[in-house]
Amino acid sequence: MTKAKKYWKGLAELNNDPIVEKLRQNEFMEEIPVDEFLGDKDLSSSSTSRRDFLKFLGFTTAAATLAACETPINKAIPYVVKPEEITPGIANYYASTIYDGHDFASVLVKTREGRPIKIDPNKTAVNARIQSSVLSLYDSSRLRNPMKDGVDSDWETVDADITSKLNEIAANGGNIAILSSTIISPTTEKLIADFSAKYGNVKHIQMDAVSYSGMLDANEASFGVRALPTYNFDKAEVIVSFGADFLGNWLNTDYATQYAAARNPKNGKMAKHYQVESTLSLTGSNADDRIQIKPSEQAGLLSNLYNALNGSTADSRIAKLANDLLNNKGKSLVVCNSNEPQVQTLVNAINNILGNYENTLTLSSPSYLKKGNDTDVATLISDMNAGNIDALITYNVNPSYTLANADEFNTGLAKVGLKVSTSLYMDETATKMDYVCPDNHNLESWGDANPSHGTYTLMQPTINPLFNGRQFQDSLLSWSGSDTKYYDYLKNYHSDNWEQKLHDGYSSEVKSAIILKKINAVTPSFKLVKSDAIEFEISEKISMGDGSGANNPWLQELPDPLSRACWDNYLTMSASTARDLGITNWNISNGALNGNMVNITVNGTTYNNVPVMIQPGQAVGTVAMAVGYGRTAAGKCGDGIGFNAFALGNGEAIIEVVGGEYEFAATQLHHTMMGRDIVKETTLADFINDPTSGNETVLYATHDGNKPADQVTLWDEFDHSTGHFWNMSIDLTSCIGCAACVISCHAENNVPVVGKEEVRKSRDMHWLRIDRYFSSDMTKELSAEEKISAIDMYAEMEEPSANPETVYQPVMCQHCNHAPCETVCPVAATSHSAEGQNHMAYNRCVGTRYCANNCPYKVRRFNWFQYSENDKFDFNMNDDYGKMVLNPDVVVRSRGVIEKCSMCIQKIQEIKLEAKKAGKTVKDEDAQTACSSACPTNAIVFGDVNDVSHEVSKLKDDPRKYDLLEHLNIAPSVFYQTKIRNKA
Amino acid sequence: MQKEAEIRDPLILGKKSYHDITKDIARPVEGKANKYWWILFSLSFGLFLWGVLSMAYTVGTGIGAWGLNKTVNWAWDITNFVWWIGIGHAGTLISAVLLLFRQKWRMSINRSAEAMTIFGVLQASLFPIIHMGRPWLAYYVFPIPNQFGSLWVNFNSPLLWDVFAISTYFSVSLVFWYIGLIPDFAMLRDRFSEKTAPMKKKLYSFLSFGWSGKAKHWQRFEEVSLVLAGLATPLVFSVHSIVSMDFATSVIPGWHTTIFPPYFVLGALFSGFAMVETLLIIMRKVVSLESYITIKHIEYMNIIILLTGSLVGTAYITELFMSWYSGVEFEQYAFINRATGPYWWAYMIMMSCNVLTPQLYWFKKIRTSFVATFILSIFVNIGMWFERFVIIVTSLHRDFLPSSWSMFSPSFIDIGIYLGTIGFFFTLFLLYARTFPVIAQAELKTIVKSSGSEYKNKK
Repeated sequence: MTKAKKYWKGLAELNNDPIVEKLRQNEFMEEIPVDEFLGDKDLSSSSTSRRDFLKFLGFTTAAATLAACETPINKAIPYVVKPEEITPGIANYYASTIYDGHDFASVLVKTREGRPIKIDPNKTAVNARIQSSVLSLYDSSRLRNPMKDGVDSDWETVDADITSKLNEIAANGGNIAILSSTIISPTTEKLIADFSAKYGNVKHIQMDAVSYSGMLDANEASFGVRALPTYNFDKAEVIVSFGADFLGNWLNTDYATQYAAARNPKNGKMAKHYQVESTLSLTGSNADDRIQIKPSEQAGLLSNLYNALNGSTADSRIAKLANDLLNNKGKSLVVCNSNEPQVQTLVNAINNILGNYENTLTLSSPSYLKKGNDTDVATLISDMNAGNIDALITYNVNPSYTLANADEFNTGLAKVGLKVSTSLYMDETATKMDYVCPDNHNLESWGDANPSHGTYTLMQPTINPLFNGRQFQDSLLSWSGSDTKYYDYLKNYHSDNWEQKLHDGYSSEVKSAIILKKINAVTPSFKLVKSDAIEFEISEKISMGDGSGANNPWLQELPDPLSRACWDNYLTMSASTARDLGITNWNISNGALNGNMVNITVNGTTYNNVPVMIQPGQAVGTVAMAVGYGRTAAGKCGDGIGFNAFALGNGEAIIEVVGGEYEFAATQLHHTMMGRDIVKETTLADFINDPTSGNETVLYATHDGNKPADQVTLWDEFDHSTGHFWNMSIDLTSCIGCAACVISCHAENNVPVVGKEEVRKSRDMHWLRIDRYFSSDMTKELSAEEKISAIDMYAEMEEPSANPETVYQPVMCQHCNHAPCETVCPVAATSHSAEGQNHMAYNRCVGTRYCANNCPYKVRRFNWFQYSENDKFDFNMNDDYGKMVLNPDVVVRSRGVIEKCSMCIQKIQEIKLEAKKAGKTVKDEDAQTACSSACPTNAIVFGDVNDVSHEVSKLKDDPRKYDLLEHLNIAPSVFYQTKIRNKA
Repeated sequence: MQKEAEIRDPLILGKKSYHDITKDIARPVEGKANKYWWILFSLSFGLFLWGVLSMAYTVGTGIGAWGLNKTVNWAWDITNFVWWIGIGHAGTLISAVLLLFRQKWRMSINRSAEAMTIFGVLQASLFPIIHMGRPWLAYYVFPIPNQFGSLWVNFNSPLLWDVFAISTYFSVSLVFWYIGLIPDFAMLRDRFSEKTAPMKKKLYSFLSFGWSGKAKHWQRFEEVSLVLAGLATPLVFSVHSIVSMDFATSVIPGWHTTIFPPYFVLGALFSGFAMVETLLIIMRKVVSLESYITIKHIEYMNIIILLTGSLVGTAYITELFMSWYSGVEFEQYAFINRATGPYWWAYMIMMSCNVLTPQLYWFKKIRTSFVATFILSIFVNIGMWFERFVIIVTSLHRDFLPSSWSMFSPSFIDIGIYLGTIGFFFTLFLLYARTFPVIAQAELKTIVKSSGSEYKNKK
C-alpha cells in the first residue's frame, strides 16, 4: 500500500490557519492601488509631454510592426516519455480494414507520430472513397459525446437509460429491432446473437443503401444460397455488363484489378467488353462496345439474349455480343445491375447455359459483401407503423436518407418507444432518435470482417478515439450486460495466431465449398417493351457513393470522371433529348459552365429547379441522377448540395422545363481532343500486327534530313546516365479513370480544397487530374474527304458524339528534362534535379505565374489565396482536427506561390535513404509514388529507368510508349502507353 | 526674273517673339489652374485612388481577386503592362531618333512626349510587381548579393531581361528628359522673384542646377543631348523587343513567333504616337498652346501612324500566313481560334482599330483635322490594348490540351487597377502641366529665327 504524502508550504498551512485559505482566494496578496494612482492630481502634470507620448507611440508602433514581420514560431514539444514504437519523422504502418457498410477494403494505414495520415492498399484495391476515409476520421462535425434527446450526455446515463428500457421491453415481451448495414464481421454477428439471447424477440435486419437484394434473392432461388457470387473477371474473355458499374461502384473494389488483368494486350489477347446501359458509367466508358438502351428494355433484352443463346435470333443490337458469348462458353461473364430478383434469375440462367459457373464466377465460395434484404426492411417499416416495434437500434445506416420510402420510415419511427442510433454524425436518422451513441471511426476501432468465403481481415485502431465515442460492439456488450471489452472478445474469437493475423491484416482459411442446389429449370421471360416516356434511373458517383462521405471535402471536390463536375449532382441528359426539351448548357464569359433547370417528378416525388447536365453517352429518352447528394444533416461541407436521388427511385419521369440558370463547377470545360494526338490509340488487331501502331514516329524535315522530334534540339542534354533517373509510365489501356490516384495524391501532398466557387473559376488545385476526352463525329479524315473547311471542322469537333468512345488520361507534372517552366522563371524557383525531376522551391517563388503559362500541359497550380487557416476556405485546412491529416513531410503552401506534382519527392528521398542504410539498391516494389501505389489496375508504374530490374525501364522501350506532345521535344520523364481497344 | 527658293511653312504660328514664347510657356506654371484642370484632376485623382484601393486589396487577399485561372495566368495585368510600355515609346523616338535626324518639328512636342514616356513606364512598371503572388519579395528578381546561399536570378528568363530593359529604359529616359529641362527650369527660376514666390524660386533654382546660359553650358548641353540621344535610340528598339520575348521565347502557340520583336516595336511606336496625339490635342486647348502645337505636327505624326499602322497590319497578316504555312495544327488552331473562337470580337476590335483606321490617314482632309485625329487616336489606343489582350488571352485560353481550355473574365479589381493606372498617369501629367515647362522653349527659340518668312515679311 502506498502512503499519500503531503507537503506544506509552511507551518501555517499545516495548522490549517484560516489566513492560508483567505490568501488562496485572493489572486493578489495586496490590494492594487488603482484609485490611488488614477486619483493622483499630479498625473495630468506629469513629465510625459505630448511629444514624448508621440515618441513612445511611434516607437511602440514601429516595434510592433517589426515584431509582426517575424514568421510566427510554432514550438514542437518533444515526448517526455517516448512511446517505444514511435520515432518522430518515421512513419508506422498498420494493416487494417475499412468497412463503412458500402465499401470494403483491406488497407495499410500510414501513421505519423500517432496520427493516421494515409490509407494504402493492402490485400484489396482501395478506391477514392476509402482513401478519403482518413479525412473523415478528422471530421469536426462528428459527434463528440453520446446524446440524449438531442443534448450532450454521458455514457453512464445513456447506458443506464437504454439498458433499463430494454429490460422493460423484454419483460413486457416487446419487440426489439436492430437495423444495420450488411454485417460482414463474424464477431459482430455473434455479439448481435448474444444480445438477442439476452433480450429475446430481437430482430436483426440488414439493409444496403444501394440494394443488391434482388441479386441475393435470385441466388437463393437459383442455388439456395443467399450470397453474392465471387467473380473472376480476369478469367473472362468476353464480359457483358447490363448496367453493372463493376469498375466504379458495383460490389467490390477488386474487379478493376481483375479487369485490367483480363485486358492486358501484351500477350495479344484482351477480353472483349460489352456494356449495355442507359447512363454512361465509368465501366461503360471503358467498354469496347457500348450499347445504349432504355432501362425498361433491359429485362426484355436479357430474355432475348437468353433465347438467342438457345438458338433463336437475337435483337440486332445484341446479336454480336450474343455470338461472342456463344463462342466463349465458360470464358465469358454476364453481369447485371438490376435489383429485380426475376431479372437476376435470368442472368443466372444465362451464365449457367454459358457454363460460366465455377469458371468465371462461383457461388460455392461466395462473397458476403452485401446481405441487405429489401423484404425484411419493408416488413420492419410496416411493423414500425403498426406500432409493433418497441425499440430500434440502428448501426451504420441512415434510412431516413437512403430509403426511397423514408417518409414512411420516419412516421413509423415516431411510434417506436426506444430509438437508438449509433451513428458517428447527427445525421438525418440520428436527429430523430432518443439516444445517439456515437460509434468510433474504423481507424479508431477494433474489428474483423469476412468478406468472402474463407477470407478474414482484421481491423485495428491506429489512433486513440478523438471524441467521446464508443464503438458499436462495445455498446452492444454493455447493453447486453457484459463486462468484456470488445477487444478481448475479438482476440478470443481469433485467438490462434492472433499476432500474425493482426500484423498481416488478413488471413485465409481453407473452407469446404458450399453445396449448391441445382439451378431452377424455370427461367423467367420478359417481353421487349418500347416506351416513349422519359425514363429516370439512379446512378452512383465514384466520389460520393451512397452519400455517407458527403461531409468529406476531398470527395466533394473530386470531379466526376465523366462529367468532370464536382460539388454537385444533377440530371444527366443526352444532347438530343435536351434539344427536344429546349435545354442547353453553355459557358459564361469566364468559361464556367451554366445550365438550364427542370422540375422532375418520378414515382410521385417532385424536385424543383433541378439542373440539367448534358452528358454524351446518356441514352436518348433517359435521364439519371447520382445518389449521395441532397444531404440535410451531413455537416457543414456536405449539407444542401444537390438532391436526394434515393427518394426518387427508378421509373418514368415527368420533366418540365423551368426558367433560371444553374451554376456548375466543372474542372474540364472542353470534352474532345480536337483531332490532336493527345491520347494515341489503336485497335487490338492492328496492335498484334504492329506493336507500334497508333504510335508511328513522326519525322520532321531538317537541313540534315528527316529526323524524329527528340533529335532536333538546341539544348544540351542533361546527363542522366548515372545515378537514379525517376520515370513514370502511364498505361492508357489499363487506366479506367477511377480517380483513386487523385485522392491518394491529395492525402500525400496536402493538396488544398478550394470550394465550388473557385472550381467554377477554373482554379482547382489538383496536382493530378484525369483528363477525359470523348470522341467526336467530326474527324480530320472526314473533313478532308468531304472538303469541310478548317473553321467548320474545328467547330464541329467541339461536339462529342452521342455515344462516344471515351479515353482517360491522368496528367500530372511531366517532369520535362527540357522544361519550358524552368527557363522562364526569373528567380530560378523551379529547377531540374540530377534525377530527372522538376523541382519547385516554394520559398523562392515570387509568383509571376510565367511557368504556368509556359507549361504546355497546364499542370502548374497557383495559390490564388491563402488556402490554409482562412475562414473563406473553411475546409479541412481551416480546422484543428482536419489539419491533423496533413502529411508532415510536405509543406503546406502559402498564398502567392506555384505548386505542382513533385513526383512525391518526399517518398523518393525516404526510399533512397532506406536503401542507403541497408546498403542496397532501391527495389522496384519500393519505388512508389502516391498515385502509383493507389492504382488498382497498375496503370501507373514508377521507378528508376537506370535500373534494368525496374519495370519502368522496360516500359520506356515499349513500342507503345510515347511522350505527350512529343513534337515540342521537352523530354518529359512521364510517358504514356497507347490505348488499345478490342474492336474491329 | 527672280526665282525665290521655296520656304518651309513656319513651325510656330502667330509670329512669336522670344519673349512671347517665354511668356506662353511660363503661363501655366505662373498662373492659376482653370476649372477644366480641376475637373480633370479630380477625376484622374479619383481613379488613381480607386486603383490604389484595388491594388491594396490584391496585395491583401491574393491574386485570386483578379479573374485569372489555372489556364489563363496572365491577362489584364500583362496586357496593361505591355500597353503602357508601348505608349512610352513615342516619347523616346521623338526626342532621340528625331533629334539625330534633325527633325526640328519635334521641338514643340518632345517635352510632353517624354513626360508621357516617363509616366507611362511608371504605370507599366507597377504591373510586374503587383502581378506577383508575393510582391513583398519582388527584390528576388534583382541580382543582388544575398544571404540565401548561392541563390541567383535566372538569366535565361525573359522576365529578368525585362527587369534590366525597363530599368535601363526608365533611367535613360529620365536623365534625357531632365537634361532638356534644365535650361527651361532656369528660365522659370529667373521669372520668379525671391520676394513674391520664395518657395518656387528656391525649387526652380535647385532644379536648374545653377544653369546660367553660358556658352560652355550650351555646348555641354548639346553634347550630352547628342550622347543621350545616341544611347536612347537603341533603347527604342530594345525595350519592346525584350518585352516581346516574354512571349516569343515561350512554347505557347500564338506566342512562339520570331516576328514578335519588330512587330512589337512598330506596335509600340504606333500606339505611342496615338497617345501623344491624344494628350497634345487636349493640352494645346487646355493650356493654350495652339501656336506651338499646330496641325503640321499632327500631320507629321499622322504620317508616322499611317506608316507604323500599315506595318503592324502587315505583321498581323504575316502571322496568319505563317500559321497556315507552318503546317503545325496547334499554330493553325491558335489563329483560327483568335479569329473565330469565343474572343473573335476582341480580334475584330484589334483588326479594325489597328489596321483599318490608320488607313484613313491617306486622306489629307482627315490627316489634317484635329477632331478626326483625336477620335482616331483613341481608336488606336483601344486597338493596341486589344492587340495585347488578344495575344495574351486568346493564346493562353486554348493551348495544347483541350482538357485545360478555359476562358477569362476580368473582375472589378482588374478593372479598378487598369483605370487606376490611367488615373495615376493623368494625375502625373496634369501636375506636370502645371509645374513644368511643357514645351522645350529654349530649344524652340532656336527655330524662331530660322524662318525665312519673318525676314520676307519685314521687307
